[in-house]
Amino acid sequence: MKVTLISIPVRDQEKALKFYTEKLGFLKKKDLPLGGGNRWLTLVSSEWQDGPELLLEPGPNHFEPCKTYQDKLMEAGMPYTQFDVKSVDAEYERLTKLGVEFSVKPSKMGTWKYAVFNDTCGNNIQLVEEL
Amino acid sequence: MTFYEKELNRIRTVVYSNERQINTVIGIRNYIENNYDSNLNLDLLSHIRFVSKYHLLRLFKKYYGLTPRQNLMDKRIEKSKENLINGMTVTESCFAVGFESLGYFSTLFKTKTGKSPSEFQKEQFSRSKINLKS
Repeated sequence: MKVTLISIPVRDQEKALKFYTEKLGFLKKKDLPLGGGNRWLTLVSSEWQDGPELLLEPGPNHFEPCKTYQDKLMEAGMPYTQFDVKSVDAEYERLTKLGVEFSVKPSKMGTWKYAVFNDTCGNNIQLVEEL
Repeated sequence: MTFYEKELNRIRTVVYSNERQINTVIGIRNYIENNYDSNLNLDLLSHIRFVSKYHLLRLFKKYYGLTPRQNLMDKRIEKSKENLINGMTVTESCFAVGFESLGYFSTLFKTKTGKSPSEFQKEQFSRSKINLKS
């Protein structure tokens, strides 16, 4: 068994695709229609293209508990998932210039540095750097 | 303050209150990052930070979740991948990242990445050819 996919629930797949590729820098890998305007839409990290795929799934629009869970996480400031970066400070600066909103500015916690931003599709996402 | 920030603060006091220990393990990890290609061992690492080697082992595992040796092996495999992509031979890459046995390197590489170093390299080269064509 291998871990090759992680999924992120999004409200609007097209908007998410734009945000994750244009602002965050992911690359589109798979995009196929699933009917009813839904897509199997995956991305990969540009610096690790054979790494796990990120599935942008339209769960919150079709499954109420998914939407509730996503809303509650957002309300609690809790990240849905996290991405590894070389420098949290550098990414914070780069993304802020692109208009991305951070709910937690770069902070230190022991052997970690982290920051949390809003992906505009219903999720908080955490950036981490191991010190 | 959000629920998440409260939780982080709680964890910060429970897990990350000992600044001295944190500085020690960060120092050790940085040393491994910068010297992965030399012959590192627990004795050497513990001398750098003036701590006993068993204490160091425990501390490192406590904060990073793995041992200094596991961390070193991960670093070496990560670097050897870069070297292979940049065109180094398997043998050159093995010694360049600090391994002394080609057999050990190949086995470890396969366990960690799912492919042998030469399979990995072949795949990278064929991929870059595809990129050139498109």
